[in-house]
Amino acid sequence: MDHATLVFASVFPVPSLSHTTPTPVATPDLGHTAPGTSFGSPFVGNSGGELHHAARRNVAWSTATRFLGLPKDVNHTGLRMRKTRDIDEALSYLLVGTGKNAESARTEEGLVGWYTNEVRLHFAKYVRPSLQELWAKEIPLSATWDTLEETQRILDRAQSFYRQPFDEHIMPFLHQDASNITIRASMDEDTIDTGIVDGAKSRFQLDMHAAFSHSLPSNRFSKTLGHVLYDAGCRLFRFHIRLDGVQHIYAPESADEVRDRIAALLVDLQRVGLGGDMAQRAFGHSMNKLVDTFIGSHYLKVDWFAKECVVPEMRNWVENGFRPLAELVLDCLQCESTKVESTQLKEWQEMAMSRLGRARVANLFDFIIHWDRSLGAILDLKEYLKLEGAKEFLKTSFSRQVSMRLLHQGATTTYILNVYISIIRAFHTLEPKGVLLQSVARPIRKYLKDREDTARIIIASLLIDVDDENERNLPSNGELCYEIASEMAKPFAHTDTTDDEFNWNDLNWQPLPHDASPEYKKSKVEDVIYFLLTLWDRDSFINELKNILGAHLLRCQDPEFQKEIRLLELIKIRLGEEKLQACEVMLRDVLESRRINDAIRSAAETSAQREQMLQTPRTPRSKSLRSRRQSSVPISSQPPPGPALNAQILSSFFWPVLRDDDFHVPAEISALQKDYESRFERIKGMRKLHWMNALGESRITLELEDRTEEFEHLAPWQVSVIHAFQPQSDEQTTTAPISRTIDQLEEMLEMDDALVKQAVAFWVGKSVLRETSNSTFIVVENLSSTDNPVDSDAAAVAKELAEVQAAQTSTVKSQADLLDEKKDVYMSFIVGMLTNQGNMGVGRILMMMRMMVQGGFPFAEEEVKVLLAQLEESEKVVSLGGDIWSIKK
Amino acid sequence: MALSNANNGATNVAARLQKELMDIMTNPTPGITAFPSSENLTIWTATIEGPSGTPYEALVFKLSFEFPATYPYSPPNVLFKTPIYHPNVDFSGRICLDILKDKWSAVYNIGTVLLSLQSLLGEPNNSSPLNGEAAELWDNDMLEYKRKVAARHKTPEELDAA
Repeated sequence: MDHATLVFASVFPVPSLSHTTPTPVATPDLGHTAPGTSFGSPFVGNSGGELHHAARRNVAWSTATRFLGLPKDVNHTGLRMRKTRDIDEALSYLLVGTGKNAESARTEEGLVGWYTNEVRLHFAKYVRPSLQELWAKEIPLSATWDTLEETQRILDRAQSFYRQPFDEHIMPFLHQDASNITIRASMDEDTIDTGIVDGAKSRFQLDMHAAFSHSLPSNRFSKTLGHVLYDAGCRLFRFHIRLDGVQHIYAPESADEVRDRIAALLVDLQRVGLGGDMAQRAFGHSMNKLVDTFIGSHYLKVDWFAKECVVPEMRNWVENGFRPLAELVLDCLQCESTKVESTQLKEWQEMAMSRLGRARVANLFDFIIHWDRSLGAILDLKEYLKLEGAKEFLKTSFSRQVSMRLLHQGATTTYILNVYISIIRAFHTLEPKGVLLQSVARPIRKYLKDREDTARIIIASLLIDVDDENERNLPSNGELCYEIASEMAKPFAHTDTTDDEFNWNDLNWQPLPHDASPEYKKSKVEDVIYFLLTLWDRDSFINELKNILGAHLLRCQDPEFQKEIRLLELIKIRLGEEKLQACEVMLRDVLESRRINDAIRSAAETSAQREQMLQTPRTPRSKSLRSRRQSSVPISSQPPPGPALNAQILSSFFWPVLRDDDFHVPAEISALQKDYESRFERIKGMRKLHWMNALGESRITLELEDRTEEFEHLAPWQVSVIHAFQPQSDEQTTTAPISRTIDQLEEMLEMDDALVKQAVAFWVGKSVLRETSNSTFIVVENLSSTDNPVDSDAAAVAKELAEVQAAQTSTVKSQADLLDEKKDVYMSFIVGMLTNQGNMGVGRILMMMRMMVQGGFPFAEEEVKVLLAQLEESEKVVSLGGDIWSIKK
Repeated sequence: MALSNANNGATNVAARLQKELMDIMTNPTPGITAFPSSENLTIWTATIEGPSGTPYEALVFKLSFEFPATYPYSPPNVLFKTPIYHPNVDFSGRICLDILKDKWSAVYNIGTVLLSLQSLLGEPNNSSPLNGEAAELWDNDMLEYKRKVAARHKTPEELDAA
């Protein structure tokens, strides 16, 4: 123990001297007296060497620590205690010389350890509060960058402040120490040297960084960092729709600036020990979010215009946008591998693909509705389907969308059909083999089957002509599906009969998807109409077809029936020829009728009948519909030209039930009918005609005093009614206009009251008739003379009424007609039900009717209530209040 | 267009019964009605009125029909639900009528069975009675017979209330 130390120690009892306090040998303590020596002051006893050593160490310790002790202020840049020789010696003694050895052997706390501790304490006391203050409040998203940068600045300052003494005063000795060892071990100097020194240094750094990172709330820190990374990504790639809702009005900053800023920040954070796991986790989260944002960004919007797939663009971004960014960040965070392998890149691309796919699937229903502008989205999905599990996801998700958005009471059948057609087309693009379509369409088909009007709409739509879509004869009541019509208008590609599976030359052959059932066989004909026609089993579909085709043929204007023939051929291909016999007969009937008409007309021509063209149906067993032209001239100086008659001859056995109102047709017409009948019988042998007057169509010319008007497409009852205003053969021709009442007309024509009223309303609407008093009408001979506003008003009202009524009158029997017709049966059903099954509510009755009545009960509660009311009137049932009804006792 | 295409026996029975129901409803016979239960088309309830000029005049009887899957090749199981005092019906409502047993033929239907039962009320078969007392009274003491008929009978409302 040198003198100076001794003196110093005797005067200043520095704390480190307590290290010399004797302790048992077994305790690895700072200093001790040797066994056998007495306890006492360092100056006592014979263990001078030991004591000297301990005391010297203590003095050195004291000197060194006082020197290395940190000033309060981190920003203190002034001179620290000047480094004297003493200090140098002390440091050298503690770090290199014997002091070091003793220390490392027996103490927990070497000088390096002490210094580390000192740094920790200092940091906790002086630096941490400012950090805590910074992080105490919630950090708004806009301030994340600043907070992080500020944090980094504080820590960076602290770090350099702490490191400076370490580097300057401890490191050189460590080097020296290391080189001593090296010499002794005669090993590769540099390696060992740097290895040991770096070890010490990095331990120090690690400890310091641990202190740093523990001073920050780690969750919030990584969230903040995550956000910064995310924000940087968004700016880099210029995403405007972001998951965090921040709306940046970006100053036109260049991508380079952003990149440099984030790189700098990351490097700095890494330097102060805030990189590492925490930052990597934050990075992972932000990259995850970034991919999602990209999927939702304008870059990957469905391509509505070019209708192209955006998947290549996405792959490209992952490869050339996302990957470099990831590599940059990895590099800044000094991760082990900064290179993104191509396999990993593939994984990323797939991951992005699956996210894109899910995003598209979520909106699939909308894409379907907007088919085919949404082709791009469907093509994206096609890519997506290549991924594992994608099909199942698409199926379940789409089924859910369909059942929520399509298959409910609010959707009209036409709408559902339109969507279904879009689905067929879109899914055909999505997966040409049709397996996917089959499984997603199943619920829709099932639902469509249960709708009553589906078949009617489909067939009616098949028959309309898209070309005259704009013409007035198309009912605009949403009962027609133009998609079907336009599909029908497409040229029918004759599918070749060879089986695709055996076409060895088909280079585009693809195996069936793995989820196809073993029996799955792709239908050969795959156009939309095929799917619609196969909704039902054949018989019921054909029944419906018969009804609609019947009504249509009677109305049809085309003398060649080209569309109808084509339709029938199409359906024959799909449903088989044998079942469509009735339809063929119907078609042949109308074609045949033309021939017979010609024959009869040419025969009749000889009897000097003037001919006009029109048509009528009827049947061997007899029904006919006729139309004629007639001039109805109440007061006219010219003899009217004779009417002409064409008939349609229908084979009643094959036709659906048609309207068959009975009434008198004008005498001229019935004469023609008789004549026609006799000629027909001559041609067709024994067959009898039965005229169905309600179904005809007529064209007439009315010659009135001041005008001549032509009317086309008139129903026969309308003609009969106006004809009744001509003087009848048994009446005196008078100069006064003839007036007739509804009752008179009914009696004269033996026509149904409703029809008479409808016809009269029609003529009033045309300003041909006028109501003079209640239910009495006269012909308006002179439009100008009766030109008063009341009349024209009445005419307008009547016209409207007539239009409404006309819409309700159809060749096929209407619902109301049907109800009326079967009223008795229905009523006895209700009586039988209530008698035998006890009292019931209306709803239950309706349900039972639907279940029990053969052929179905196509009515709703309304009609049941009407029936019940009538039964109540005839005292068969009584209402028990509420909806419950009982049999009258 | 709801369609059924199943082709098993039950469907055939159902189709046949539906047709019979339609026939009964289209051409109702006075004093006779029948209707299936809402849950099961093969279980019916029928109502017949006692024929005039018989002790059962103005009385209403309910019956139950149960059709086997082999109907119409086997007879339905018919029971009186309304208690009835009759030589050929026992106290649980079982009926002794040849056409419901060995004389059954597929040409019979609900309507003809009900008509037969209605006429059985007025013309009991006293040679093989299920209810011997009734057969005896029918032959010997019509007044007492009528009294017993009236005493045993319950209206449908009373039945429902029970």
